[in-house]
Amino acid sequence: MRLDISSKLALVLLLWVCAFTLEWFVSVPLLVVAAAARYLVPAFRPQSHRANRAFNKFLLYSVAILVLLTALNALLMPGGDILFTLAGLKFHHDGLMFGIRTAARLLLLSVSILIFFISTPLPDFIRFLQQKGLPSQLILILLLTLHFLDQLPERINRVFVAQEARGAPVRAGVFSRAKSLVSILSPLVLSSIVESIDRGTALEVRGFLVRPEASLVRVQARQKLNPVSLTLLLLTLGVLFLFLLRWLLAF
Amino acid sequence: MLNSVRGRIANEMTGAALPFVAFCIALNLTVGQVTAALKIPLYLDSIGTVLVAVLVGPWSAVIAGSFANLLAAAFGNPSMMFFIPVVVVIGAFTGYLARAGWFRRWYLVALGGILQGILAAIVSAPISAYLFGGVMMTGTDFLVLYFRSVGNTLLNSVFYQGLTSDPVDKLITYLLVFFITRSLPRRLLSRLRGASNLKETPSRHAP
Repeated sequence: MRLDISSKLALVLLLWVCAFTLEWFVSVPLLVVAAAARYLVPAFRPQSHRANRAFNKFLLYSVAILVLLTALNALLMPGGDILFTLAGLKFHHDGLMFGIRTAARLLLLSVSILIFFISTPLPDFIRFLQQKGLPSQLILILLLTLHFLDQLPERINRVFVAQEARGAPVRAGVFSRAKSLVSILSPLVLSSIVESIDRGTALEVRGFLVRPEASLVRVQARQKLNPVSLTLLLLTLGVLFLFLLRWLLAF
Repeated sequence: MLNSVRGRIANEMTGAALPFVAFCIALNLTVGQVTAALKIPLYLDSIGTVLVAVLVGPWSAVIAGSFANLLAAAFGNPSMMFFIPVVVVIGAFTGYLARAGWFRRWYLVALGGILQGILAAIVSAPISAYLFGGVMMTGTDFLVLYFRSVGNTLLNSVFYQGLTSDPVDKLITYLLVFFITRSLPRRLLSRLRGASNLKETPSRHAP
């Protein structure tokens, strides 16, 4: 199945609406389906090793959070029946339900965003935003950010090692370490301002600031919604309508 | 309205500002590497936004903060998407403080940092409480649970948790930005529009 970016965004929107409007016993199966889609649906496969690692890490983390938060809420939030007692600790019904509801909503929201980003390369997403009319200056900022994100960790490491070699107290007490933050961040910001002036000058002499649109590759915008996006948006409206109807009938 | 906003953004983002804003977004996302290496228990994840607010302007800071949260979500921290309103407030508030000349004196910077922390706690509390039930998958969740267990409402518990951590974090962020901007050569700073916020003479942007 081939899904374009607008269809994936429509799916994220549908899952967000479901997370906020449906009960936890619907959200939990939806969460399982969304997480399984990463393995079963080719359109949601991670586009890089880093994306794959981020998803797997999040999945492990979320299982731990689900168990921990449900247990802690059941333990610390009094209310309702006492479900069971373990080593003198009482687990309450209301706290347990609050924990499950919260965890289901939080995880469904998080997984929906994550499967979108792991399966969509950022340059493709930026190109999509350009198609939708995001100004050229902002497109350039996003592209330059990706460039800096590649370079910055190495640059931070270099400054850190250099300051340590000059005798900055990077391994002393907490206050001395906090003071050495300035000595690490200052050269980092300074070098970036120097680089930004070079790049800014290069942009100016190429005339980017006068006619930015002419400097970036023009991407043909497609105005029509595809059938998958349309179906997902209609489903979203349907879920919202049912939620409002149920809310009105409750009065 | 939209054209007016575009005009203000275009007015701030000239010359060196575009690459500098991009660097600050990247700094927001990677500063954790520095604090982890120094073993300092701070987030400082809005330091890039504050730098842009002071050296470029409030509109650019709003954009920098929003893009940083969007990219944080893309890199495996999806809940950051919902806190874009908080960084919008941080960027706008800091930008206007800088234009009013608050970044010329250290004590005003310290006061601004504390005010910013309280404001961030106020704005983030409803998001954290109503969208996430006070659960943000961080160590501070235990603080929220503690405040709830002693009888506070969910919103109050999240707000109190914010008050215990945000003002300290923002105070240190503001002071760091103050010292960084002081240590930068004026010749380089003059390429950024917000450099006038740091001069002793009244800023032409001041309201």
